[in-house]
Parts: sequence; structure tokens; C-alpha cells
Amino acid sequence: MESGDEEGVEKRRVHLRPDTLRSATPATLHLLPCDVPVNRPAPVGSFFTPAIRQGPEGLEVSFRGRSLRGEEVEVPPGLAGYVMVMEEKEEVLVRKQGFPQGSDNDEQQQELLEPPEAALERDFDRVIRASGSFSHFTVWGLETAPGPDAKVRAALTWPSLAAAIHAQVPGD
Amino acid sequence: MADRLDYGEGTDAQQFVFLLPEYLKDTSKKMKTGLMFVKLVNPCSGEGALYLFSMCLQQLFEIKLFKEKHHSWFINQSVQSGGLLYFATPIDPLFLLLHYLIKADKEGKFQPLDQVVVDDMFPNCILLLKLPELEKLLQHVTEEKGNPEIDKKKYYKYSREKTLKWLGKKVNQTMAALKTSNINVGARVQSNAFFSSHQISSDKEEDYICYAHGLISDYIPKELNDDLSKYLKLPEPSASLPKPPSKKVKLSHEPIEAKEDYTKFNTKDLKTEKKNSKMTTAQKALAKVDKTGMKSIDSFFGTKIF
Repeated sequence: MESGDEEGVEKRRVHLRPDTLRSATPATLHLLPCDVPVNRPAPVGSFFTPAIRQGPEGLEVSFRGRSLRGEEVEVPPGLAGYVMVMEEKEEVLVRKQGFPQGSDNDEQQQELLEPPEAALERDFDRVIRASGSFSHFTVWGLETAPGPDAKVRAALTWPSLAAAIHAQVPGD
Repeated sequence: MADRLDYGEGTDAQQFVFLLPEYLKDTSKKMKTGLMFVKLVNPCSGEGALYLFSMCLQQLFEIKLFKEKHHSWFINQSVQSGGLLYFATPIDPLFLLLHYLIKADKEGKFQPLDQVVVDDMFPNCILLLKLPELEKLLQHVTEEKGNPEIDKKKYYKYSREKTLKWLGKKVNQTMAALKTSNINVGARVQSNAFFSSHQISSDKEEDYICYAHGLISDYIPKELNDDLSKYLKLPEPSASLPKPPSKKVKLSHEPIEAKEDYTKFNTKDLKTEKKNSKMTTAQKALAKVDKTGMKSIDSFFGTKIF
């Protein structure tokens, strides 16, 4: 029963590989004003990217015959953008046996871990890793640029506000 | 490698677009594991929410999801539906601890923390006990007892008074941040910009406190939020419950009836009036404010995560 509980806890953790935060290669991101209801490879570099033009009012492109206007949006200071993907279970198993693609500091990592956590992490359930990184992305609007009132811009102000909400209050 | 990235990662797997604090990248040099997403209680709703926990930094981050209709991502040479954007920002763990302290307070006794923070639904709550300087944090919201002669263990009991004081400070520091940022705190501010200009400053002050309170209220249970409204002398939120106007002015701990029926509750009414007279001009002005400016974080984000 005891071990069963522990396993239960484990199953509720998704481990993020910290080393992938450094090894992630720069990614190009566009936020489109329409939903393409699939997740799959797409020849963005053949159709979309070459059609982007610098117009008088910002970037211009078209997608499915509709005209889009875009602008570059910076990731707020102090933050870093990442694209993450879940690893398949088989992949996790292979990696666990000796961390084949790990670099030279595997031993160091083992030492730094507290023993109980190391035990817990040996059998974790899912693993997620950063596959790409970005410091800006392009936001597209239909016909007109998204502008300063775009909801995504409001969301980007959240981290600075969150910092204030969650800062420790001075004691008495 | 470039090829693999351009076309390879192209499985049908879901890709998550995240914004993380930059410093997580640096701490990743020290460790190759110990950064994990866990489900913990949402201290406001009591339901599950996603958090990121760093074993190395011993820090907890909340995950917020930006979600707007009709969006999708192009990520390199792939398309990702939904256009979701995840944010991981540091959260004050005291909000989560408070959830357990309030729950344990029903037993009405001093208890060690490891007996307070227990949760069958979210067993990962044990991670909260690993956070540094817990004792210092808990001073804000609990009374504590301990007998150093017997053991080093400390025993805690939830204190409503201390908690309200702490939350009051939270609201103040959030207000300060709102003022230095360019966040529009309410529709009022925008519409005022077109009309009389001298009104803006006073209205803004009211909007700021309502907005700040609205932000904090997303981290505390409803009952405590009601107490906080009274503590801050805020009017009842008009958005959540459409009530008759008279009930909006709920200023004291006295029953509402006292205000409405002067004949029956004469003495109580006097007390209410006395309290009202003690209010500052700003507080009186506050009482009249409707809370259209009170926005919760959900106005930025959707709620469903993963």
C-alpha cells in the first residue's frame, strides 16, 4: 500500500528536463488569427514565410486567400520562450538506461540530488522537454494589425503583475 | 540537426508554447532533473491546478494559460492548433498553505505542519513542506507554539486577524504595482478619458483597490474573500450577484437588515452610522464604486490547462 501511494504521487508529476532549456534551438513562431484544427508538420517555409512583406503598416501576408497584418511581439524581460513536447514512454525508457544523450555531468547530477527525490524520480511517469526557444514571435490579425489592445499583449503584462502579487510582504 | 528540427519534430504530437522565468535556464546547469509539473490545489476553487516546482531553487510557480478563440501557432515547419500560451510565474506558497491551514482550523487546535498539509486528492502537496523559510512565512497567517525543551517541532494554528492584515498588505503592494504599470484598471478609466478630466484621479484610486483586490481574490477561498472585502471596506461586487442597490453598501460587520430597517434595529443602526462617520473621504467614495473595474486574472487567461 505504501509503495502504491508513492507510485500514485509519481504519476502526477511531469518532469521537465532542465538541460533541454539550454540545448533548445531557436524556433520561429507565428500566432495566427484563425484556428487550424490539427497538430502536424506544415511547409510554413514554402508557403507562408516567403510571402511575408514589409508593408506601410507593418508586416503583410496572406493565408488561405485572406489578408493578414502582423507585428513582432517581444517576450517580456526576465522571461524566456520555449516550445515543449512530451516524450514518448519508450523514449523515456531508453534514456533512463544510462542517459545515452546526456552530456558529461551525469555523475554530478546524481550527487546533487537528495536521495529520497532521486528514488522518486527513478520511476516518473511522463517527461517533457524543450524542443525550441524563442525571444519574440509574430502576432497576426485579420485585415488589420492586432494593435496595442490585443488580448495577447494584455496577457504578456501578467508576469510583472504576478511578481507584485506574490512578492513577500514586509513583516511587522 | 537543423533538418531534424525543421521537419523532424513533426510528429502529430502536441507542442506547448511556454514562457518561463529566464533564471530557470541558469539553474538547469546544476541539475538535470528536479524541475517538474505537478497538480496541486487551487486555493481559490479547491480544485486541481497545474504548478511548476523547482527542486533546485525550492520554488513554486503557477501555470496560467492564455487562450483566445480562433488562434493557432505556426512553430517552425509545423502547425499547432489552439494558439495556447502558457505562463509560469512565481507564486507565494503561503496562498496554498493557507488553504490547508484554514481546513485544519476546523479542528481548532495547534498542529505540526506535516499534519496540516495532507491531501488525498493532491498528494504532491508534500512538496510544499520542502519550501525554504516556511516558519518565517507562516508567521504572517498563524499563531505558533513550540516547546524547545521537548522537541524542535512547531505547532501552528490559523489566525484570521493576522491573515487579513497580511492580505491587506498584499492588496497594497499589488495596487502599487498597478500604478507603476500601464494596466487599465477599469472601463471607467477609459470612458473618463473622453469626459471630465479632473475625475480621473479619484476614480482611478478606487478602481485600483478594487482591481488589486480582484487579483488577490483569485488566490483565497470565497469566505476569506468576503472577510477581506469587509476588512478593506469594499462594496459588494456587483458583477457576481445582482443585488438591490441598498445591499451594495455593505460596510460593517453589522447585519444588512440594520441598515435597511431603521425602526427595528435602532441600536445596531447607530453603530453602523458611527462606523460610517469614521470613514475617510476616500473610503466613502469607495463605497459608491461599482466594481466593473474588478477584473480577475481569468480576464487574461482561459482556465483549462493541459
